Amino acid sequence: MRTLFSDYLETAVHSLRMNRGRTLLTTIGVAIGIASVTTILALAAGVTSAIDRQIQQIGGDVAVVRPGFTPSNGLTSPVVAQQFGTSSLTRGDVTAIERLDSSLSVAPIMTIEGTLQTKSESLVATMVATTSKLADTTNLPLDQGQFFDDTSSANLAVVGAQIAVDLFGTDNPIGQQFTTHEQRFTVIGVLEKLSNPVNYNNVDFDHAILIDFDKGELFNQGRSQIQQINIRAESTDTLNKAVAEATALLEKRHGEQDFQILHGTDVTSITSNTFHWVAIVMAAIAAISLLVGGIGIMNIMLVGVAERTREVGIRKSVGASNLTIVAQFLIESLLLSLIGGILGVVMGVVFAFTIALGLYFAPVFTWQIITASLGVSVVVGGIFGLYPAIRAARKDPIESLRQYR
Amino acid sequence: MPAKKPVIELNGLVKKYGIGDAEHRALDGVDLRIDAGEFVAIMGPSGCGKTTLLNVLGLLDRADDGEYHLDGDDVERFSGGRRARIRSEQIGIVFQNFNLIDRMTVIENVALPLTYHGMRHIKRLEAASATLKTFHLSEREYYLPHQLSGGQMQRVAIARALVNKPSLILADEPTGNLDSRSSHVIMEELAELHRRGNTILMVTHNPNLTSYASRVINMLDGRVASDKKIRVAAVSEEQTIVLRTPKKTTASGELAPKKATKKKRSKKTAKEKKS
Repeated sequence: MRTLFSDYLETAVHSLRMNRGRTLLTTIGVAIGIASVTTILALAAGVTSAIDRQIQQIGGDVAVVRPGFTPSNGLTSPVVAQQFGTSSLTRGDVTAIERLDSSLSVAPIMTIEGTLQTKSESLVATMVATTSKLADTTNLPLDQGQFFDDTSSANLAVVGAQIAVDLFGTDNPIGQQFTTHEQRFTVIGVLEKLSNPVNYNNVDFDHAILIDFDKGELFNQGRSQIQQINIRAESTDTLNKAVAEATALLEKRHGEQDFQILHGTDVTSITSNTFHWVAIVMAAIAAISLLVGGIGIMNIMLVGVAERTREVGIRKSVGASNLTIVAQFLIESLLLSLIGGILGVVMGVVFAFTIALGLYFAPVFTWQIITASLGVSVVVGGIFGLYPAIRAARKDPIESLRQYR
Repeated sequence: MPAKKPVIELNGLVKKYGIGDAEHRALDGVDLRIDAGEFVAIMGPSGCGKTTLLNVLGLLDRADDGEYHLDGDDVERFSGGRRARIRSEQIGIVFQNFNLIDRMTVIENVALPLTYHGMRHIKRLEAASATLKTFHLSEREYYLPHQLSGGQMQRVAIARALVNKPSLILADEPTGNLDSRSSHVIMEELAELHRRGNTILMVTHNPNLTSYASRVINMLDGRVASDKKIRVAAVSEEQTIVLRTPKKTTASGELAPKKATKKKRSKKTAKEKKS
């Protein structure tokens, strides 16, 4: 059987080479389908790995408290919707959690939109009202300057790397001032460029300005609207204890469970679930183009079978069984689709990196993705090559031999 | 004389075409026994069932009724896969229109039946080359079929039929597409095979060719009408004497004039360079 296989491979290569133009067009059909599937899978893997990076950044000792409750189906209620409701978390909750022994540092996050003005620029941006503890609970390295602390009552701000350039035209705006909500702020620190707009704080720190929590309340008609409280435990081991204590505390304070405390992969599960489903739906749509490619293979193989009717007859008359004829044509269509698959993966790599030029994450090519793409191409070749192969095998040798060319 | 062992035994073989009123019996109860080493010529008018008989004997077609024993096996009962194996191991078929695969070289065409034995590529080519040598076609091994004359193509086809040493060689009007000189060369080859002990069954229209055979069967309306054995030794001896002469002069490349041979040779070297 092995000899037969290598023999058929040779025959298939020969026959594909004889009809170069036809082979090329057919493989392109498959290649486009495989390329789109590969691109989507690689981009989805890119997103997933970006999210995974967030989980790593959180570390094993941080939990987040979020207001409200997220149903298990993340698709129908994305996290953004909560911004329009009133948060159930209060400033009192923050101080109460801070008092717990198990929590090392606690920081609230509240976002407000506002117009920032300098002498020359004016733009609308997100301001994050928080405390100095944010630096302890989230990995926010400073490029220049320092973080504000709770003792100073002055209007101080730490700006993101990108908004510094957008607003002040420099990556070193320390000491410069801007006005918002009729108050003047002085920049005392600049964050390092993070390039991760999708993260567990739901804040794109590159484009945000950090201000003191009191100012945030002031700008929000004197009420706090906390979208998240970050809790850092002393160590990974004590995180569960900290979560349990905080849960008990908040339940007692609120009288009901109108909040959730997440840690580890739970934090990102909503986002990653969403992307997961989006990727699956898109891959399914891309698979339709594979169907078209497969039909192309079937068409060409049927033509090939018709052209080689006499050859089938001759082969049968010298001892080929139906099975060997099926194998011969099936190997040819498998080869055709495999070439298309390889071409498609290469195209997919090019596409994915081209698309990623406009995105904040790089596509990821794992061996699973490449194997899956090639596997799908082989399956397509097998499914759509089977019918022509069986048709070839079923040909009556006497009829076939009568066919002159 | 080879031992009298039946290669083929047919009992009441029937092959029908069409249904109801249109039913036509191409074979209408054929009883036949062919022993090893016989050279049988089957004659008869068009539509008498000669080719149908050959197709059934070559396992390309199934009979509707009756028994067909090949080397003692009741092959009518065998499955498709088993019949395919018998085709590849026990039967060699020579067709009127040669039926070589156009895109394969001469040696690959000859080696084709060995593919279905699971023989390795190199071994196949060695065996094919050895067979081609006995047909004086060694120089043409890497020609494509369309570069050969009709007589040469038929010799390649005979080489292919012979390459797996079958117990039965079937020939369906092997000289039907050839001129009379090539025909005699081909017939001489078949006669030579017969002398070497092969069993040959040949269908022909041409009564002159029956002189090579050891037995002539006439068919009419799907039945055996007459069956007569010819004294083998005397006839084939005579034929040998007559036909040896042209064969010697054409040992290398049939009856082609020298100029053409030269041309072909240069083509061959060009092809070799390419590959």
